[in-house]
Amino acid sequence: MSKTILEVIDLKKHFFQRKGLFSLGGQQRSIPAVDGVSFYLKENETVGLVGESGCGKTTIGRTILRLEKPTSGRIIFDGTDITALDTDELRKLRGKMQMIFQDLDAALNPRMRIREILNEAITVHHKLTGAEVDKRIAELLEQVNLKKSKLSNFPHELSGGEKRRVGVARVLSVGAQFLVADEPTSALDVSIQAQVVNLLRDLQKQLGLSFLFISHDLRVVELVSHKVAVMYLGKIVEMGMSGRIANKASHPYTHILWSSLVEKQSREVGKKAKSVQAGKWGVFDFERPLEGCRFAPRCPVYEAKGGPDICTNAASEPVLREIEGGHQVACHFPL
Amino acid sequence: MKSYTQISGEIGEFSDLPFWKKADDIDLAYVGYGLFVVTLVILSYFLGAFNLLPHDPQDINLELMMAPPLTSGHLLGTDFMGRDMLTRLIVGIQAYFLPGLLAIFIALFFGTVLGVLSGYPAKAGFDTGITYFANLVDSFPRLVLILLVIAAFKPDIYYIMLVVGITNIPAVASHIKGKILFLKQKNFIEADIALGLPTRTIILKHILWHNCRSILIIQATLGMGEAILMETSLSYLGFGVQEPTPSWGNMVQAGSNYFMKGQFWPSTAPSLAILFTILGFHLLGDGLNNILEGKRNK
Amino acid sequence: MTAPLLKIEDLRTYFYSKSKQAFIRSVDNVNLEIGKGETLGVVGESGSGKSITALSVMGLLSAGPGVITGKIGFKSDRVQKNLLQDLDDFVKLTMKDGKVMAVQKDEDGWQERSEHRMSKVRGKEISMIFQNPKQSMNPFMTVGRQIAEAVQLHTEYKSEQAAKERALDWLDRVKIDTPRLRFDNHPFGLSGGMCQRAMIAMALSCEPSLLIADEPTTGLDATIQSKIVDLLAELKADLGITTMLISHDISIISRLSDTVAVMYGGTVVETGPAKSILAKKDDQKHPYTSALLTSIPSAENIRGKGYLQAIEGDVLDTINIPAGCRFYGRCNRVTDRIRERCERQEPDLREIAPGHKARCWLYFD
Repeated sequence: MSKTILEVIDLKKHFFQRKGLFSLGGQQRSIPAVDGVSFYLKENETVGLVGESGCGKTTIGRTILRLEKPTSGRIIFDGTDITALDTDELRKLRGKMQMIFQDLDAALNPRMRIREILNEAITVHHKLTGAEVDKRIAELLEQVNLKKSKLSNFPHELSGGEKRRVGVARVLSVGAQFLVADEPTSALDVSIQAQVVNLLRDLQKQLGLSFLFISHDLRVVELVSHKVAVMYLGKIVEMGMSGRIANKASHPYTHILWSSLVEKQSREVGKKAKSVQAGKWGVFDFERPLEGCRFAPRCPVYEAKGGPDICTNAASEPVLREIEGGHQVACHFPL
Repeated sequence: MKSYTQISGEIGEFSDLPFWKKADDIDLAYVGYGLFVVTLVILSYFLGAFNLLPHDPQDINLELMMAPPLTSGHLLGTDFMGRDMLTRLIVGIQAYFLPGLLAIFIALFFGTVLGVLSGYPAKAGFDTGITYFANLVDSFPRLVLILLVIAAFKPDIYYIMLVVGITNIPAVASHIKGKILFLKQKNFIEADIALGLPTRTIILKHILWHNCRSILIIQATLGMGEAILMETSLSYLGFGVQEPTPSWGNMVQAGSNYFMKGQFWPSTAPSLAILFTILGFHLLGDGLNNILEGKRNK
Repeated sequence: MTAPLLKIEDLRTYFYSKSKQAFIRSVDNVNLEIGKGETLGVVGESGSGKSITALSVMGLLSAGPGVITGKIGFKSDRVQKNLLQDLDDFVKLTMKDGKVMAVQKDEDGWQERSEHRMSKVRGKEISMIFQNPKQSMNPFMTVGRQIAEAVQLHTEYKSEQAAKERALDWLDRVKIDTPRLRFDNHPFGLSGGMCQRAMIAMALSCEPSLLIADEPTTGLDATIQSKIVDLLAELKADLGITTMLISHDISIISRLSDTVAVMYGGTVVETGPAKSILAKKDDQKHPYTSALLTSIPSAENIRGKGYLQAIEGDVLDTINIPAGCRFYGRCNRVTDRIRERCERQEPDLREIAPGHKARCWLYFD
């Protein structure tokens, strides 16, 4: 059994918004973007985090990297608690954990050549001589499969796929073992997405990396992840091995998410386009229920059962519990 | 009718042209003219340093007062004390240039510091404080402030430039702040933090050196034009550079008494010099702005 | 096939890169046909020219050179014309080896004539749904007001009251819950999916002959995407409206379209019935299309191999278009028989099966 590299315990991140223009002190409204999330990640493993936009998945990634300060909870990385590190210690930590940003241009200063960008990243955490740096750059280019001629280019001269490769190279250059990949494929073209997915899988095999893979693209998550956690409004509602989540989902939300893949529906081409779901649940609004299960207002099971009290009762908010072999679900009436 | 032509070359091999080739001709002309003016300024110091000036600028010749231009030995004539106009014109710029540099240095240095402080940290308090300071400085009429300083101390060009520099701080600070906020949207500052770069590298190298240097150059050239204009107006009022040291401002002022008598050259020559020099610095700034920041295309 | 409603022939829309002093050949020799009542799905990656084709049809491009040649034949019950007729007068091209080397264009004259012609067609005959519903609506007007205005302008419901009723009817039809409440909402008060519904209502309320939907689901969440696709499918079945559906998402295209056009590097590389183009088998298809289908990240495509079959190389940059086939550099099906032709000469769009055209040397002798 490989060792646990990251453990997140009851992580909460609330954002505060001032209520009005003239409200001073105490009048803040808190928005719980992440509301009590726990999971762990083993070495050489990928955990996928899926959910719709606004469910807090990106915030989790940023909080783990301590780009945001967690409101409460604990983050344990490689055996040390990193929840309350100061700036200097954090900087050292960045040599071990890194983030691939959704924005292709994020890692690339527009006025710096690619060689300069990589050179800088390599020398942040390690003191190396010029020759060693050159060797390392060549090695990185090999790993991410990028042409050497691109080194003298500026970022805006690269295509989307190349930018992504440089971004990955920059992240690898510090020697990180754990990466948070925040929607690494969503800004890319279809034909390039496959290249990047393959690249990340290869790198994991070669270097033994661990990934927290955040995406809204269920197909990609299913492909790259060993385990998948499904988030809904700041909470994990279901977690388990990816094959199981994809095929034997227990939470109604996961079920909707997976069956809403247009691709799955398209197998019925030719038949009169008639949707199983249309009209049944109407259009969703992201309005947070005040108490009980967060998903109840959208939940087909809740509706089918005639709105049982247990789902909307503040005292009985469903918690994650194991139903079978590591498959956890937070629902009173799992499917 | 607009025409577009593809440069000849194999299709499949187009890449970005160097910036002087893709710049508009008019911008290149602006910059060219600006650089020409800067060269003249440097030439003035050069001539002074090697004693190559046609005359001593303070050499009074009572026999040849108000000689018209093209008098032998005096290309642009002489003024009311018989001093050579051309020499005084050449030396006149020296009254501004070094003091102007001081003003620019003050504005850029403190402007950058304040700009970074208000743009970079995520603390709202800093930003508010600096905004209040900027508004405070901006709300003083500059000329009145200068007159106050002169009244309190003495009419000295360096005091004036100190005030000009300080009053320019808010403009530079807001430019730098705006640029930083723009860069923050592009996320790469955050990526730098995530990479573990020290804060001073991020600010000095990534923000200021790579992304703000063109702004600073542009602000410097514009600031120089402004410094000259400010000094000229003060000299005209008699508060600037004091006689007998020549400056274009006090030359215009001295010459203006004779203008209505038909003796136009003692005031016209320095006026034109002021016009073309300020124009030069402004066009240089504008042209650089268009070329380096790509403003014209957007 | 029914008589085509829209027939695009040899359309070229170029832009000019000042920093490279070269043409960006965004749309280069595009031929498309949409039959009445059909849905044409246009698939392609970014930079393949699919959106620019749509904007060219709508006459919404002004930045120079823009559309330079081509014919856009439009033939509905009410209007029959070439949307680009006589606009050639304003353009002078200099060609070399079949490539445009210089363009001289009287942009103001072009704009004026095009605008004069298109103002009668746009909205009334052809309407468009954009990718960003929130940005394509006026933020200062209520959603209902905007739809009612479109109704008043383009249909026979001229009175205020009738137009409002009609707008409410459309809001109901696109399944916006409580239309009467939403009528008075501003666009920012609606969620993304809801806003896209309102946008669809607005586009359809003019009762156009042709609907152009440019990436109607991109940027929305998966659950909402599927709802919008459902809605479009339902509207298609109910109204039978002719649609040009542009998307990079093959699953959406395969769900909704009757015919499909695959675009690559500014031109159409394959067109034909949806069934034969999007079928999983490899034969009789443009190599790009089959590679695209197998590179979609999905469990099905990875089965048995353990990795995804990616298309190597990068999306074609439409400034640097090669002399031969545009896909040659990335193609994995080049054989020795055709290699030389692939490299030197661009293939035509020719019929390889009834109704199925492809631009590939593999199928020609």
